[in-house]
Amino acid sequence: MTEHAITRRSFLARSAGTCAVVAGSGFIGFSAWEQARANDAAPAPEKTAHSLCNSCSSKCGFTAQVTDGRIGIMIGDKDHPLCDGTLCARGYGYASIAYSKDRLTNPLKKNDAGEFEAITWDQAFSEIGEKVQDILKTSGPAALAMIQDPRPSGSFYTKRFMHALGSANVYTHGVSCNMSKNSGMTQALGVADFTSDVANTDMVMFIGRSYADGIRPSSLHALQKARERGAHIVIVDPRYNSSCLYADEWVPIKPATDLALILGMAHVLVEQDTYDHDYVENYTVGFEDWAERLKEYTPQWASEICGVPAETIERLANEMWEAAPKASIEQGWRAATGCSHQNSGETARALCLFNTLLGCWGLEGGAFFPASMSAGKLEDERFAAPEAPTEKILGQAEFPLSSGGMGVATYALQQVAEGNVKGVFFYQSNCVGGYSNPATLAKFLESAELSVAIDVQMTETCYACQYVLPDTSYLERLEVPEFVGGVIPAVSLRDRVIDKIHPETKPVDEIFVGLADACGVGEYFQFTVDELADAQLKTIGLSLDELREKGTITFPEKQLVYELKTKWKTPSEKVQFTSEACENAGFPASPGWLEPLVMPKEGEFRLIGGKQNIHAHTQTVNIESLMAITKQYGLDRVWMNAQVAADMGIEDGDEIEITSSEFSGKTRVKVTERLEPTSIYLPSHYGRMIPEQQTSYGVGLSQMDFVPFHIEPGYGGTMSQEVIVTVSKVGA
Amino acid sequence: MVYEPVWGPVIAWYLFLAGLGAGAFVTSAFLGWRHPEATFMRKVGYIITPIVVAIGLVLLMLDAEAGFQNPMRFIYLLTNFTSVMTWGVVFLSAFMVVALIALVLNLRKITIPTWLDVIGVVLALCVAVYTGALLGVCNTYPLWNNALLPILFLVSAMSTGMAIVLGIAAVGHADEFNRVGVLKKFHFCLPIIELVLIASLLFITSSNSEAGFASVVSLVSGNWAVLFWVGLIGVGLVIPTVLETWLLFFSAKEFEESRLAHGISLASDVGVLIGGFLLRLLIVLAALPVTIIVP
Amino acid sequence: MTRYGMLIDTTNCIGCYACRVACQRKNGLDPEMDYITYEERETGTFPMVHVESIPMQCMHCEDAPCVKVCPTGATYTTDDGIVRVDESRCIGCKYCMAACPYQVRVHNPQTGVVEKCRLCAADAYESGTETCSCVEACITGCRIFGDLDDPESELSKAIVKKNALPLAGDLTKAKIFYVR
Repeated sequence: MTEHAITRRSFLARSAGTCAVVAGSGFIGFSAWEQARANDAAPAPEKTAHSLCNSCSSKCGFTAQVTDGRIGIMIGDKDHPLCDGTLCARGYGYASIAYSKDRLTNPLKKNDAGEFEAITWDQAFSEIGEKVQDILKTSGPAALAMIQDPRPSGSFYTKRFMHALGSANVYTHGVSCNMSKNSGMTQALGVADFTSDVANTDMVMFIGRSYADGIRPSSLHALQKARERGAHIVIVDPRYNSSCLYADEWVPIKPATDLALILGMAHVLVEQDTYDHDYVENYTVGFEDWAERLKEYTPQWASEICGVPAETIERLANEMWEAAPKASIEQGWRAATGCSHQNSGETARALCLFNTLLGCWGLEGGAFFPASMSAGKLEDERFAAPEAPTEKILGQAEFPLSSGGMGVATYALQQVAEGNVKGVFFYQSNCVGGYSNPATLAKFLESAELSVAIDVQMTETCYACQYVLPDTSYLERLEVPEFVGGVIPAVSLRDRVIDKIHPETKPVDEIFVGLADACGVGEYFQFTVDELADAQLKTIGLSLDELREKGTITFPEKQLVYELKTKWKTPSEKVQFTSEACENAGFPASPGWLEPLVMPKEGEFRLIGGKQNIHAHTQTVNIESLMAITKQYGLDRVWMNAQVAADMGIEDGDEIEITSSEFSGKTRVKVTERLEPTSIYLPSHYGRMIPEQQTSYGVGLSQMDFVPFHIEPGYGGTMSQEVIVTVSKVGA
Repeated sequence: MVYEPVWGPVIAWYLFLAGLGAGAFVTSAFLGWRHPEATFMRKVGYIITPIVVAIGLVLLMLDAEAGFQNPMRFIYLLTNFTSVMTWGVVFLSAFMVVALIALVLNLRKITIPTWLDVIGVVLALCVAVYTGALLGVCNTYPLWNNALLPILFLVSAMSTGMAIVLGIAAVGHADEFNRVGVLKKFHFCLPIIELVLIASLLFITSSNSEAGFASVVSLVSGNWAVLFWVGLIGVGLVIPTVLETWLLFFSAKEFEESRLAHGISLASDVGVLIGGFLLRLLIVLAALPVTIIVP
Repeated sequence: MTRYGMLIDTTNCIGCYACRVACQRKNGLDPEMDYITYEERETGTFPMVHVESIPMQCMHCEDAPCVKVCPTGATYTTDDGIVRVDESRCIGCKYCMAACPYQVRVHNPQTGVVEKCRLCAADAYESGTETCSCVEACITGCRIFGDLDDPESELSKAIVKKNALPLAGDLTKAKIFYVR
């Protein structure tokens, strides 16, 4: 190809010819233009570096080219298990966060008037340290909480910091993500994640999850392979999401009723006696209990609840059985099973049990558990971990099924208002903006004796805190190596791509070292992140330099082997159709129908959220190149079913007002055939009202503003779609 | 497909002013031939021509930002003769030169040789036709891409050129104004011809493609309907025609030469000028590409 | 001869905008400047619906209206069939934008110059990616770049196999072929 390409020389030759012609007609002096033309080709990059994307939690690996000290071209790393050689729009766009005009550039402290004032790091550290020590003295370490969205260094340093202080209260964003799914699955399988082997499947059903919207490139590639292989791909979703391009069937379902669909399908298989008897008899417990419970959940019954025709339910169940064991229901994520409804946890549990009927665990084309790799134990004294606190994370007792590794962050914030939590830290977490009702969460935080947010830009969370500490962007720092599970597990690195831009920002590791020193636990942080990374890699025979060079290193010897999974990490070491823990938490031993918290009546709608393929929650909306797409294509509009809109006299592009118990707001409507009639879909990203985020300020509405503060009983999810709204046309 | 017009009012002004200049020059040349005694009006025409053409060219250059920032690039304007704009630059430059020579001669009270007037008129016609052809060669816009458009713009150019000279005369030199009957009769005819041309343009365009139909709909009943019916058709064409019909054919001679009649004439001429601008503006803004319906 | 062109398979396009943002990154464009635009077409009625996403960019027409109308010769066709803009000649008159039936030329508000896709693969060896940034970025592999005159190229074969056609038929003899 290159031999045909325009070479610089041919370019110059052409321009020289032009000059000759023009010069001949009496004009001279075009050398500057000639020079400009020669510069047409981009200058060669001065270096390349590997990093991990920070636009969503997937952390895809990429190679970045740096020219004139600025990041330019980015190319997804082929070996990285999640990105598989390509990045999504978020990834390309989010890199410009480093140069954002809205970066936090100094430590800030809120004054008595409620305004932020720049302070020095010394002042920030010493004041925060003093307050932490006060709280420790008066209320003990359980009165401190840390909320963070896991990132390589963040996970390591936040946990170490909190454990050093003696507190177990380290929370993730799980409550508003995959808490209920992980918790429900743990009850059934003893593990929190499985992967449908989409690439090799004969039939896969997605419930509320869209690989083409919440993009992990490798998952999308698997979905493509499934289509190429002629697999039966079914998408159950109130919204015709972007993945439907690959599906041969879209099953529009009333949101929050997915559990009824699964129970109905399970009923069909059990009643027909078409399920994997061998597997059920040998590797599960409690089947009889579930079989008995399933009796009432006929397809007709399910159909009335979820709106999917009974014949469809029956047919889908039978198709799944015919395809078994190369079939599974995909685990879902935020929507159906993750954190959206009062029955999300039970839906996740039922989903696992349905897959168990198919006997698909561990088999090719079924559902597997990714191979993993991790660093070994660090021998060097300096890295010795502080003793882990013996008490459980706050909220575990109140939400006994919730995953302790994630923690019910919203409950912890509620406990601030109750006076049980006095000091809260946030790292790279827009908890206030997205975990539950923002106004309520901000109100909770007002009672805190100490609230500190560490971030790169002014989020709703920063806004609600007393101290804001400016992090460097992910491109400006090295982080702890990231181990990634997959068919072939790997380790990948977020290295320094560009130099620090704002002198008064600090990378996360340095911030926690500073905080630890100020809080009197500096002895646990006597190393640099470079030393830590190198030491971790040495435990598996690698070095930091080697990983820096390659970006991602795979472990082919650890490659996943397909084999029927028969051993489980449940109390019974079998798949549990019945769970004692669930029973103790007030649920039936085996999952049965559980009503959603709310259901829309005539003239009402359920307000559903969901990712668009250019944004990740609120993380990317202040990125100019991504927000430009939103504005150009009207992506902030709220979706409404075409028939419903016609009945209400609403036309595409009209301004409508949406009202819930918590909030009322106006926005433009997109009238579409792509939405189930009882739902209103509001993309989850918009409605940012922080003036310091100039790009996203005031664009669209925020779905979470409409949702009341509440927590899914037992499981701890935020129930992000348990909200009823009414809609009216503005000016009508 | 959402379509955003590329060119806007600035280009419409440019097209209008270039046509206006051409029309004014032709008016002056015509006066020299049929009403040689109307020296005031001739002078008005010769003065107006280079001024409005120059304003038009400045607007064009202002709109061409990259050229405005790097003026040397305008030299390249004479390199691609497949471009109508290149021909336009040639015509406009030549016309500007002739118009300036004619103005200098006129101001120095030197008789303008007939051959210069003829060259000027030919170039003026080229400029006027060019303003239509500039749009007309864009073969993906049915509203532009037809043989009627250059003719329509030519007629409009002549009409506006005469209107500005007559309008100024009606205020500034009533005697001459009263005596240029032949010019007035030509001036009277042109809006009528324009109406016929516009009707033809819309009929043909609306039936030749979906995009053409959509363009016409946007003019007659869509976004641009008010401006089209009230501005262009009403103020720009019908009202001047009605007023002139009344003044020329139905009013008494004494009234025709009264101050009030001159005021009415002026109003009619202003209407023609407004219509001339709106014609360009609407044609520029309302045209939709044939690809609008493809994806 | 070499005639560069591209195939875009919209049956594989999820409309994720990755190509647009990757293109902006490679070409150093401002956030609002898009060499790639999108048409989205929804057909059918609930629940039997279908959505087609159609990325559009300079079609590198053989019969390029923009080349024809450019008064300064800033827009020209290379020997390889690529329609390019010599920015040092562009006066920003926007005649090319008016003439382009696909509306894929973009006015740069900083420089006043009109820009567009230049099939960056053609000088890829100078600018860092192996092929066009859009081809490289496409997660689902909708895009194939290659030589239309080489019957053995992946592009030529795919065009035949998938019966790909230019978006607007023969209108401008476009060299971007679409599978729809």
